[in-house]
Amino acid sequence: MGDSINCREAHARLHDFLKRELTPELAAEVEAHLEHCRPCFREAAFEERFLLMLREKAAGTCCPDRVKARIVAALHAEFQAEDG
Amino acid sequence: MAEPTTAGRPFDAEALPHLDALYRVALRLTGDPTQAEDLVQDTMLKAYRSWRQYRPGTNAKGWLLTILRNTFINDYRRRKLEPVATDLEAIEPHAIYRRVEDVDPEGTFFSQIVDEKVLEAVDALPPEFREVLVLSDMEGLSYAEIAESLAIPVGTVKSRLFRGRRLLQTALYQYAVETGIIPAREAPMGQSDG
Repeated sequence: MGDSINCREAHARLHDFLKRELTPELAAEVEAHLEHCRPCFREAAFEERFLLMLREKAAGTCCPDRVKARIVAALHAEFQAEDG
Repeated sequence: MAEPTTAGRPFDAEALPHLDALYRVALRLTGDPTQAEDLVQDTMLKAYRSWRQYRPGTNAKGWLLTILRNTFINDYRRRKLEPVATDLEAIEPHAIYRRVEDVDPEGTFFSQIVDEKVLEAVDALPPEFREVLVLSDMEGLSYAEIAESLAIPVGTVKSRLFRGRRLLQTALYQYAVETGIIPAREAPMGQSDG
Protein backbone atom coordinates (compact mmCIF):
# COMPACT_ATOMS: atom_id res chain seq x y z
CA MET A 1 0.00 0.00 0.00
CA GLY A 2 1.51 3.32 -0.99
CA ASP A 3 1.55 6.54 0.91
CA SER A 4 -1.26 8.10 -1.08
CA ILE A 5 -2.22 10.93 1.25
CA ASN A 6 -0.29 14.02 2.23
CA CYS A 7 0.20 15.73 5.61
CA ARG A 8 -2.86 17.92 5.20
CA GLU A 9 -5.13 14.96 4.49
CA ALA A 10 -3.61 12.91 7.29
CA HIS A 11 -4.08 15.83 9.67
CA ALA A 12 -7.71 16.25 8.66
CA ARG A 13 -8.38 12.61 9.49
CA LEU A 14 -6.27 12.43 12.65
CA HIS A 15 -9.05 12.82 15.21
CA ASP A 16 -11.30 10.28 13.50
CA PHE A 17 -8.31 7.97 13.21
CA LEU A 18 -7.47 8.18 16.90
CA LYS A 19 -11.11 7.57 17.77
CA ARG A 20 -11.13 4.48 15.52
CA GLU A 21 -13.99 5.92 13.50
CA LEU A 22 -12.39 5.60 10.05
CA THR A 23 -13.09 2.78 7.64
CA PRO A 24 -10.21 0.26 7.50
CA GLU A 25 -9.16 1.65 4.12
CA LEU A 26 -9.00 5.27 5.29
CA ALA A 27 -7.29 4.27 8.53
CA ALA A 28 -4.66 2.28 6.60
CA GLU A 29 -3.86 5.37 4.54
CA VAL A 30 -3.33 7.42 7.69
CA GLU A 31 -1.20 4.66 9.21
CA ALA A 32 0.92 4.46 6.07
CA HIS A 33 1.46 8.20 6.19
CA LEU A 34 2.38 8.21 9.88
CA GLU A 35 4.88 5.42 9.31
CA HIS A 36 7.15 7.61 7.30
CA CYS A 37 6.24 11.16 8.23
CA ARG A 38 7.93 11.87 11.51
CA PRO A 39 6.32 15.29 12.21
CA CYS A 40 2.83 13.83 11.71
CA PHE A 41 3.73 10.75 13.74
CA ARG A 42 4.87 12.92 16.63
CA GLU A 43 1.75 15.03 16.55
CA ALA A 44 -0.43 11.92 16.46
CA ALA A 45 1.47 10.50 19.44
CA PHE A 46 0.92 13.77 21.32
CA GLU A 47 -2.83 13.71 20.69
CA GLU A 48 -2.99 10.04 21.61
CA ARG A 49 -1.22 10.72 24.88
CA PHE A 50 -3.75 13.44 25.69
CA LEU A 51 -6.64 11.04 25.05
CA LEU A 52 -5.00 8.28 27.07
CA MET A 53 -4.53 10.70 29.96
CA LEU A 54 -8.24 11.61 29.86
CA ARG A 55 -9.27 7.95 29.95
CA GLU A 56 -6.97 7.36 32.90
CA LYS A 57 -8.29 10.34 34.83
CA ALA A 58 -11.86 9.18 34.20
CA ALA A 59 -11.14 5.62 35.32
CA GLY A 60 -9.95 6.93 38.68
CA THR A 61 -13.52 7.81 39.69
CA CYS A 62 -16.00 5.12 40.69
CA CYS A 63 -19.51 5.24 42.03
CA PRO A 64 -19.05 4.85 45.83
CA ASP A 65 -20.21 1.48 47.24
CA ARG A 66 -22.52 3.32 49.62
CA VAL A 67 -24.29 4.90 46.65
CA LYS A 68 -24.48 1.62 44.75
CA ALA A 69 -26.07 -0.05 47.77
CA ARG A 70 -28.58 2.78 48.07
CA ILE A 71 -29.54 2.50 44.40
CA VAL A 72 -29.88 -1.28 44.53
CA ALA A 73 -32.14 -0.90 47.58
CA ALA A 74 -34.27 1.69 45.78
CA LEU A 75 -34.57 -0.60 42.76
CA HIS A 76 -35.57 -3.55 44.91
CA ALA A 77 -38.24 -1.45 46.59
CA GLU A 78 -39.48 -0.68 43.09
CA PHE A 79 -39.42 -4.40 42.13
CA GLN A 80 -41.44 -5.31 45.21
CA ALA A 81 -43.96 -2.55 44.67
CA GLU A 82 -44.44 -3.93 41.19
CA ASP A 83 -44.75 -7.55 42.31
CA GLY A 84 -47.05 -6.74 45.19
CA MET B 1 -14.69 -3.09 44.39
CA ALA B 2 -17.70 -5.19 45.42
CA GLU B 3 -20.38 -5.17 42.77
CA PRO B 4 -23.93 -4.87 44.05
CA THR B 5 -25.75 -8.16 44.29
CA THR B 6 -28.51 -8.64 41.76
CA ALA B 7 -31.67 -10.62 42.07
CA GLY B 8 -31.06 -12.23 38.69
CA ARG B 9 -33.29 -9.74 36.96
CA PRO B 10 -32.35 -8.80 33.38
CA PHE B 11 -32.47 -5.13 34.27
CA ASP B 12 -29.88 -5.58 37.01
CA ALA B 13 -27.56 -7.53 34.74
CA GLU B 14 -27.78 -4.93 31.97
CA ALA B 15 -27.81 -1.71 33.99
CA LEU B 16 -25.83 -2.17 37.21
CA PRO B 17 -22.44 -2.67 35.49
CA HIS B 18 -22.74 0.91 34.21
CA LEU B 19 -23.14 2.62 37.59
CA ASP B 20 -19.52 3.81 37.60
CA ALA B 21 -19.88 5.42 34.17
CA LEU B 22 -23.23 6.97 35.09
CA TYR B 23 -21.79 8.39 38.29
CA ARG B 24 -18.76 9.85 36.50
CA VAL B 25 -20.89 11.57 33.88
CA ALA B 26 -23.32 12.77 36.56
CA LEU B 27 -20.40 14.30 38.46
CA ARG B 28 -19.21 16.16 35.41
CA LEU B 29 -22.72 17.39 34.55
CA THR B 30 -23.73 18.51 38.03
CA GLY B 31 -20.33 19.37 39.47
CA ASP B 32 -21.59 18.17 42.84
CA PRO B 33 -21.23 14.68 44.42
CA THR B 34 -24.55 14.80 46.28
CA GLN B 35 -26.47 15.86 43.19
CA ALA B 36 -24.61 13.26 41.17
CA GLU B 37 -25.75 10.52 43.56
CA ASP B 38 -29.37 11.63 43.31
CA LEU B 39 -29.14 11.97 39.55
CA VAL B 40 -27.81 8.42 39.15
CA GLN B 41 -30.52 7.02 41.39
CA ASP B 42 -33.27 8.92 39.54
CA THR B 43 -31.80 7.70 36.26
CA MET B 44 -31.81 4.07 37.36
CA LEU B 45 -35.40 4.24 38.59
CA LYS B 46 -36.54 5.90 35.36
CA ALA B 47 -34.62 3.35 33.33
CA TYR B 48 -36.24 0.51 35.24
CA ARG B 49 -39.71 1.97 34.65
CA SER B 50 -39.04 2.32 30.93
CA TRP B 51 -37.19 -0.99 30.69
CA ARG B 52 -39.66 -2.31 28.13
CA GLN B 53 -38.47 0.37 25.70
CA TYR B 54 -34.93 -0.95 25.87
CA ARG B 55 -34.05 -3.26 23.00
CA PRO B 56 -31.91 -6.10 24.35
CA GLY B 57 -28.55 -6.38 22.69
CA THR B 58 -28.32 -2.66 21.95
CA ASN B 59 -26.01 -0.35 23.83
CA ALA B 60 -27.26 -0.28 27.43
CA LYS B 61 -24.63 2.25 28.45
CA GLY B 62 -25.68 4.71 25.75
CA TRP B 63 -29.35 4.18 26.62
CA LEU B 64 -28.75 4.83 30.32
CA LEU B 65 -26.59 7.89 29.61
CA THR B 66 -29.37 9.31 27.43
CA ILE B 67 -31.84 8.95 30.30
CA LEU B 68 -29.31 10.49 32.66
CA ARG B 69 -28.71 13.45 30.42
CA ASN B 70 -32.44 14.07 29.85
CA THR B 71 -33.11 13.78 33.58
CA PHE B 72 -30.34 16.25 34.26
CA ILE B 73 -31.72 18.79 31.79
CA ASN B 74 -35.32 18.44 32.93
CA ASP B 75 -34.92 18.14 36.67
CA TYR B 76 -31.47 19.30 37.75
CA ARG B 77 -30.29 22.13 35.61
CA ARG B 78 -31.57 25.28 37.20
CA ARG B 79 -31.70 27.32 34.04
CA LYS B 80 -33.35 26.23 30.86
CA LEU B 81 -31.05 24.85 28.24
CA GLU B 82 -29.61 27.84 26.52
CA PRO B 83 -29.06 27.52 22.80
CA VAL B 84 -25.43 27.32 21.83
CA ALA B 85 -24.26 30.80 21.03
CA THR B 86 -23.00 31.06 17.50
CA ASP B 87 -19.73 32.57 18.65
CA LEU B 88 -19.19 29.45 20.78
CA GLU B 89 -19.34 27.29 17.68
CA ALA B 90 -16.98 29.69 15.97
CA ILE B 91 -14.28 29.28 18.60
CA GLU B 92 -11.05 28.10 17.03
CA PRO B 93 -8.78 27.46 19.98
CA HIS B 94 -5.08 27.12 19.38
CA ALA B 95 -3.41 23.84 18.64
CA ILE B 96 -1.35 23.28 21.75
CA TYR B 97 0.99 20.82 20.06
CA ARG B 98 2.51 23.73 18.11
CA ARG B 99 3.39 25.43 21.40
CA VAL B 100 4.99 22.46 23.09
CA GLU B 101 6.62 20.57 20.25
CA ASP B 102 10.01 22.02 21.14
CA VAL B 103 9.84 21.57 24.92
CA ASP B 104 7.54 18.56 25.43
CA PRO B 105 6.60 16.98 22.11
CA GLU B 106 5.38 13.82 23.80
CA GLY B 107 2.91 15.68 25.99
CA THR B 108 4.26 14.24 29.22
CA PHE B 109 2.98 17.36 30.99
CA PHE B 110 -0.59 16.09 30.65
CA SER B 111 0.14 13.13 32.89
CA GLN B 112 1.98 15.28 35.42
CA ILE B 113 -1.09 17.35 36.19
CA VAL B 114 -2.97 15.96 39.19
CA ASP B 115 -6.36 14.38 38.56
CA GLU B 116 -8.33 17.09 40.37
CA LYS B 117 -6.87 19.84 38.21
CA VAL B 118 -7.69 17.97 35.01
CA LEU B 119 -11.25 17.34 36.15
CA GLU B 120 -11.61 20.99 37.20
CA ALA B 121 -10.52 22.01 33.72
CA VAL B 122 -13.09 19.63 32.20
CA ASP B 123 -15.78 21.11 34.45
CA ALA B 124 -14.83 24.62 33.32
CA LEU B 125 -15.53 23.85 29.65
CA PRO B 126 -18.71 25.28 28.11
CA PRO B 127 -21.46 22.68 28.86
CA GLU B 128 -22.08 21.82 25.20
CA PHE B 129 -18.42 20.96 24.68
CA ARG B 130 -18.01 19.32 28.07
CA GLU B 131 -20.78 16.76 27.64
CA VAL B 132 -19.50 15.66 24.24
CA LEU B 133 -15.91 15.40 25.47
CA VAL B 134 -16.91 13.45 28.58
CA LEU B 135 -19.03 10.99 26.61
CA SER B 136 -16.39 10.52 23.92
CA ASP B 137 -13.02 10.76 25.55
CA MET B 138 -13.77 9.73 29.11
CA GLU B 139 -16.53 7.16 28.55
CA GLY B 140 -15.64 5.88 25.09
CA LEU B 141 -18.94 6.41 23.27
CA SER B 142 -18.79 6.56 19.47
CA TYR B 143 -19.79 9.59 17.42
CA ALA B 144 -23.04 7.86 16.48
CA GLU B 145 -23.89 6.96 20.07
CA ILE B 146 -23.26 10.52 21.23
CA ALA B 147 -25.29 11.97 18.36
CA GLU B 148 -28.23 9.74 19.27
CA SER B 149 -27.91 10.45 22.97
CA LEU B 150 -27.79 14.22 22.57
CA ALA B 151 -30.12 14.33 19.53
CA ILE B 152 -27.62 16.35 17.48
CA PRO B 153 -25.99 15.57 14.11
CA VAL B 154 -22.72 13.64 14.00
CA GLY B 155 -21.06 16.68 12.40
CA THR B 156 -21.99 18.75 15.43
CA VAL B 157 -20.60 16.07 17.74
CA LYS B 158 -17.30 16.18 15.89
CA SER B 159 -16.98 19.95 15.82
CA ARG B 160 -17.85 20.28 19.52
CA LEU B 161 -15.44 17.50 20.40
CA PHE B 162 -12.65 19.09 18.38
CA ARG B 163 -13.14 22.48 20.04
CA GLY B 164 -13.64 20.97 23.49
CA ARG B 165 -10.36 19.09 23.23
CA ARG B 166 -8.49 22.17 22.12
CA LEU B 167 -9.98 24.32 24.87
CA LEU B 168 -9.08 21.66 27.43
CA GLN B 169 -5.55 21.32 26.08
CA THR B 170 -5.15 25.10 26.22
CA ALA B 171 -6.33 25.22 29.84
CA LEU B 172 -4.01 22.36 30.85
CA TYR B 173 -1.11 23.94 29.00
CA GLN B 174 -1.65 27.25 30.78
CA TYR B 175 -1.83 25.45 34.11
CA ALA B 176 1.37 23.54 33.32
CA VAL B 177 3.17 26.78 32.46
CA GLU B 178 1.87 28.59 35.56
CA THR B 179 3.02 25.78 37.84
CA GLY B 180 6.37 25.36 36.12
CA ILE B 181 5.70 21.86 34.80
CA ILE B 182 6.77 23.17 31.41
CA PRO B 183 8.69 26.37 30.65
CA ALA B 184 6.80 29.28 29.14
CA ARG B 185 7.29 29.73 25.44
CA GLU B 186 8.84 32.97 24.37
CA ALA B 187 6.59 33.61 21.40
CA PRO B 188 3.40 35.42 22.42
CA MET B 189 0.13 33.49 22.44
CA GLY B 190 -1.83 33.74 19.23
CA GLN B 191 0.92 32.87 16.81
CA SER B 192 1.67 29.73 14.88
CA ASP B 193 -1.60 27.92 15.37
CA GLY B 194 -1.96 24.84 13.28
